[in-house]
Amino acid sequence: MIDSTSMIKVKDLVRKYGEVTAVDSVSFEIAPGEIVGLLGHNGAGKTTLMRILTSYLPATSGEVLIGGKDVRENSLAVRRKIGYLPETPPLYPDMNVRDFLAYAARLKDAPAADVDRVLAECDLADAADKVIGTLSKGFKQRVGIAQAILNDPELLILDEPTSGLDPVQVRQVRKLITNLKEKRTVLLSTHVLSEIEHMAQRVLIIKAGKIIADESLNTLLTGAEGEQEIVIRMNGDGDDAVRKIRDLRLPGVETIEVRKLQQSLESVFIKLNE
Amino acid sequence: MNKIIAIAKKELAAFFKSPTAAIVLVVTISAFNVFFYLIIGERKEASLHEVFKVMEFFFIFIIPVLTMGVFSEEKRSGTMEFLMTTPTTNTEIVIGKFLGSLGFFSVLMGITLVYYPILEFFGSPDRLAMLSGYVGLWLEGALFIAIGLLASSLTQSQLIAAIVSYAILFTLYFSTVFTKSLSGSSEDLLAALTTASHSQNFAVGLITPVDLTYYLAGIVACIFLARVHIENRALE
Ligand SMILES: Nc1ncnc2c1ncn2[C@@H]1O[C@H](COP(=O)(O)OP(=O)(O)OP(=O)(O)O)[C@@H](O)[C@H]1O
Ligand SMILES: [Mg+2]
Repeated sequence: MIDSTSMIKVKDLVRKYGEVTAVDSVSFEIAPGEIVGLLGHNGAGKTTLMRILTSYLPATSGEVLIGGKDVRENSLAVRRKIGYLPETPPLYPDMNVRDFLAYAARLKDAPAADVDRVLAECDLADAADKVIGTLSKGFKQRVGIAQAILNDPELLILDEPTSGLDPVQVRQVRKLITNLKEKRTVLLSTHVLSEIEHMAQRVLIIKAGKIIADESLNTLLTGAEGEQEIVIRMNGDGDDAVRKIRDLRLPGVETIEVRKLQQSLESVFIKLNE
Repeated sequence: MNKIIAIAKKELAAFFKSPTAAIVLVVTISAFNVFFYLIIGERKEASLHEVFKVMEFFFIFIIPVLTMGVFSEEKRSGTMEFLMTTPTTNTEIVIGKFLGSLGFFSVLMGITLVYYPILEFFGSPDRLAMLSGYVGLWLEGALFIAIGLLASSLTQSQLIAAIVSYAILFTLYFSTVFTKSLSGSSEDLLAALTTASHSQNFAVGLITPVDLTYYLAGIVACIFLARVHIENRALE
């Protein structure tokens, strides 16, 4: 990858809090249009890394370029490219949703009409005139996402966008992110891998401040080694079919069993709520 | 400039939604009215000179309460991270917030303007002294607000911010008391720094470049320091 084409370029990034090294010699690059998940346990350094990328926190050492621009030297230009959802949604409890978004739009040089667009995209139209302090957690999170996508930023940095959301809303966020216009780069953090399934194409795993894996989601989920399964879907009773397959004595096959199709809890929940 | 106005407007609107600010406004105006009535009624003199003194004294207590949350609350609630990652410069943020608080203070001062027609009705006040008195009081309030903002930028706690700004204002206001125990150049220095020696002139109709410079330089210095401080806070 050539420098100038990377949306994010991080090189030997270190961030210390006193004795604690929260980010430890991290290097990676993200190309425009990529959707990347940043996965790590609590305290792994996700938030710290994102704060450095958004120019909120300075690094102890190392280099960060956003769209080819240094986050420290060109902080304003960098901030103009980024839509950022901090870990705690940044909300003023006394303001109503529309006023807050209008305020955010002015600070971000976004056209006033953008407020209505993000209200619609985040399914907030009905809550537009509600006071933020009275919203449920999930709605607050949506307001946080709405302010992040104001002005249609080239790069979205979302710190745990799905935390506090119910499964239906998690799907909506997923849809929102995958529906973003082409060439929008997204970096989102989570500590639950399944939450970024279907969203991220690539996953960076961070542990104690170090990147320990940088792979495509597919590779990560299938793993390099291990068992493989052949799945055959059938209608009705499968016993007869199983007997016949068993009789074939296929090489390498260890067990053959009939299982009822399991639905994921998530999809059951969603069906019940429809 | 747009962003400064946006921030100032938002701050001003927040004051009008804040119960604390509403209480401060009502209590202060009521107290001013009582003093106005007492002073004017007793002295039978169409001048706000004494009333201004009372107001000035009140500012030491109310301005720390008005400004305590301006930065500390944003830090505590995490909105500072939002504010500082938008393409807004720290200077715009600090000036916007200063103007928002000054706006609310101006509303408070504006309400007391009704004293003027009352005095005109009952006597013939010195108009120039009244005008310059208001200018001086307003500048003094602006300086106090800048100090309060600086204190608020130092901490996440509204209480600490209020105490720090109260301590600074108190010292600034009452330091003339100590000048008596000093002599020579240190006395002059202290006298030049204390607000009392500057507000006096305004109250009697004198607007001097020295006094103007005192207030403006104080305001600019505090705003500058608050700016430096919110910048460095991110470095913690
Ligand atoms: N302001 C701070 N001062 C001191 N240490 C900090 C500070 N912020 C974070 N840390 C430390 O840095 C490390 C990384 O924290 P960080 O918040 O980046 O983790 P995270 O991956 O976002 O965790 P979580 O999943 O809980 O949000 C932790 O050990 C944390 O204690
Ligand atoms: Mg975090």
